[in-house]
Amino acid sequence: MSVIAPKFRLAYFLKSIIDNIFWAIILVTLIGIPAIQIGLFYGDLPVIEGELLTAFLAFTWLFNPAMALPLVKSLIYSDLFRIAAFPGFGFAALIAAGTIFVERKMLAKLQLRVGPFYCGKIEGILQLAGDGLKLISKEIIIPAKADKPIFWAAPVLFVATAAAFVSLIPVAPGGWVVADLDVGLLAVFAVIGFFPIITVLSAWSANSKYPFIGGIRALHQMVSFEIPLILSLLGVVILTGTLNLSEIVESQHNFPWIIFMPIGAIVFFTAMLAELERIPFDLPEAESEIVAGWLTEFSGMMYGLVQLGSYVKLYAFAALFVVIFLGGWTGPVFWPPLDEQIITTGLEISSYTGDPFLTVSTPGLPLFDADPNEWILQKQGELQYTTGQLLISGVVWFVLKTIAVIFFILLPRGVFPRIRIDMLLHIGWYKLIGLSFVNIFIALGLLYSGILGPEGVF
Amino acid sequence: MADVLFLALSVLTIGAAIAALELRSLIYGSIALMGTLGGIAGFFILLDSPFVAMFQIAVYVGSIAVLILFTVMLVKRELIFKKIEDPKRKLAGIGLMLIIMVAVGAIILDSGVKTITTDSAPVDFREIGEDFLTYYWPALIAMALILAGSVIGALVLARREDTVENGQRTD
Repeated sequence: MSVIAPKFRLAYFLKSIIDNIFWAIILVTLIGIPAIQIGLFYGDLPVIEGELLTAFLAFTWLFNPAMALPLVKSLIYSDLFRIAAFPGFGFAALIAAGTIFVERKMLAKLQLRVGPFYCGKIEGILQLAGDGLKLISKEIIIPAKADKPIFWAAPVLFVATAAAFVSLIPVAPGGWVVADLDVGLLAVFAVIGFFPIITVLSAWSANSKYPFIGGIRALHQMVSFEIPLILSLLGVVILTGTLNLSEIVESQHNFPWIIFMPIGAIVFFTAMLAELERIPFDLPEAESEIVAGWLTEFSGMMYGLVQLGSYVKLYAFAALFVVIFLGGWTGPVFWPPLDEQIITTGLEISSYTGDPFLTVSTPGLPLFDADPNEWILQKQGELQYTTGQLLISGVVWFVLKTIAVIFFILLPRGVFPRIRIDMLLHIGWYKLIGLSFVNIFIALGLLYSGILGPEGVF
Repeated sequence: MADVLFLALSVLTIGAAIAALELRSLIYGSIALMGTLGGIAGFFILLDSPFVAMFQIAVYVGSIAVLILFTVMLVKRELIFKKIEDPKRKLAGIGLMLIIMVAVGAIILDSGVKTITTDSAPVDFREIGEDFLTYYWPALIAMALILAGSVIGALVLARREDTVENGQRTD
C-alpha cells in the first residue's frame, strides 16, 4: 500500500504551518495594513443610512446581522459587485461551468453512455472541480520556439475579451448591466472582432503546424460569419430604432422579435454556432484531423483559461440571442404583488377595537431594493411590485431562456458530423447573407406598412 | 482628466505608429498598427462620438488589421523585403516628417482651436442617420451601390465552377 507522504513528520508539518503563519503576519503588517490605510486615505467611502462608513464602523456592523444588511445592500449596488459578480464575470463563469458539465452528461445520455460517473456520489457531480484542480496543478509547457509574449498573453486576452462581451449584456430590469452603452450593439460587434485576432495570433505564436492550420481556419470562419451575424441583427435595429440592448429588451414587452423575424433568428443562430466553433462548424478544433486545432500547444491552466473563455463566450452569445430575439427578462412576474403598507411599515395585526398592537416588519424581504426609505413600487398593469421582486423574476426568466438557448447550442454536437470547409464558406457567403437580406427586407416591409416600429400599430 | 487621457492616447497612438514602422518583426508591427487604430478609436470616444469609435474598432481593428495579419502570415518576408540601411534616406525621412509636422501645426495654430469642450453630450447617432438620409443622400446612395457591388463581387469570386452534381469536389 502506497503512502501519500512517506517522509511525513508531525514536527515538520507543524513547523511549516507556523512558518506560514509567521510570514502571513509579517506581510500583512508590513504591506497589507499600510496598503489598506493608503487606500482608505484616497478612496471615497460610502454613506450608509446617513452615516459615513469608516472601516471601524464596517467591522462593528459586520458582527451584527441586522446592521450588516445595509452593508450588504451597498455592496450589491457597488460597481465592483457588478463587474465581478452578478451581471458580470462571476455569473457568466458560473453558467459556463454548469454548461461544461451539462454538455458532457447530456452528450453521454444522447449517445447511450454514462459520462462522468465516479467523482462525487451523485452522477459525477464533482467532475468539474476535479478537472479544474487537475488543470491548475499541471505544469505549463511552452514550446521551445514559441513566440513567448504573445503565447502567454493569448489565453488571458481571450478570457478578457469574453468578459468584455459579457459586460455588455443586460440581465435584469433596472439597469442590471455592467456597461449600459448607447451604442451597445455596435460595441458587441467591436468586441466580437477581437476573437479572430487573438485566435490567429496565438496560433501563429505556438510555432507549430497544427495550431497554425487551426488558426487560419478559425480566421476564415469567424471573419466570414461575422457578416451574416451583423446583418441578421439589423432587422431588429430597424424596427426598434435603437442600439441600446436594454431598450431592445424593453421594446419586446408584448411579443419577442422571433415571432416576426424567425429568418433573422435562424441566421443569427447558425452564425453564432460558427463563431463559437461548435459542431458542425468546429473545423478550427477538428480533433480527428489536426489534433486539437489552435489549442494544441496549450497546457495546464492556459488551456483551462481558453476553455473558460470559450464557454463564457458561449454564454454571452446565448444571452445576446435571448436579449435580441427572445425578449430578455420579460415574462410574467410570478411573485405575488405586495401591498405598499407591508413594505413600508410592516404587517399590522389589529385588536378588536382596530388599533394595531403588533407590527410584523420584514427586514430581509427588501434586500435588493436600492434605498429602503424610498420604496420604489413599479406598476405592471394594476399590480405593484418592488424592484427586488422584479429583479428576481427577471433574472429567473432570463436564466431560463438562456439555458434553453445553450441547450440548443449543445444539441448539434451529439447529432451532426463536421462539415467541409468549402461547404462552410458556401453556407456563410451564399445562404446566410442572402437570408439575412431577406430578413432586412421583411423588417423594412413591416416598418413601412406601419405594422411595427416606432410609429407602428403594436 | 481629459488632458491626461489625451496625452496618454497621443503617446499610445504615435508610439504604436512608430513601432509599426520600425519593428523588424512584421507580426509585432501589425500588432502595433492595431494599437494605433485603437488609439484613434480612443480619440473618438474622447471627442464624444462613441458611434464612430465603435465603427473604428469594428472595421479597422476587427477587419483591416486582421487582413494585414493574415497577409503577413502568408508571405515569406525574406523573399520580398531587403534590409536597406541608408543614412541619407533616414535623414530625408526625418526632414520630411518635420516639415509636415510644422505645416500641420501651423494650420492648427492658425485655426484658433485651443481647447476641447469636454462636458458636451455625446453626438447622437440618430442625427448622423438623419443627415445621411436628407442632406448627404448622394453619398449614401454611392456607398450603398459600392457595398452591394463588393458583396456581389465576393459572391461571384467565391463561386466554384468545378463542382459536380452531387456536391463532391472533382479534384
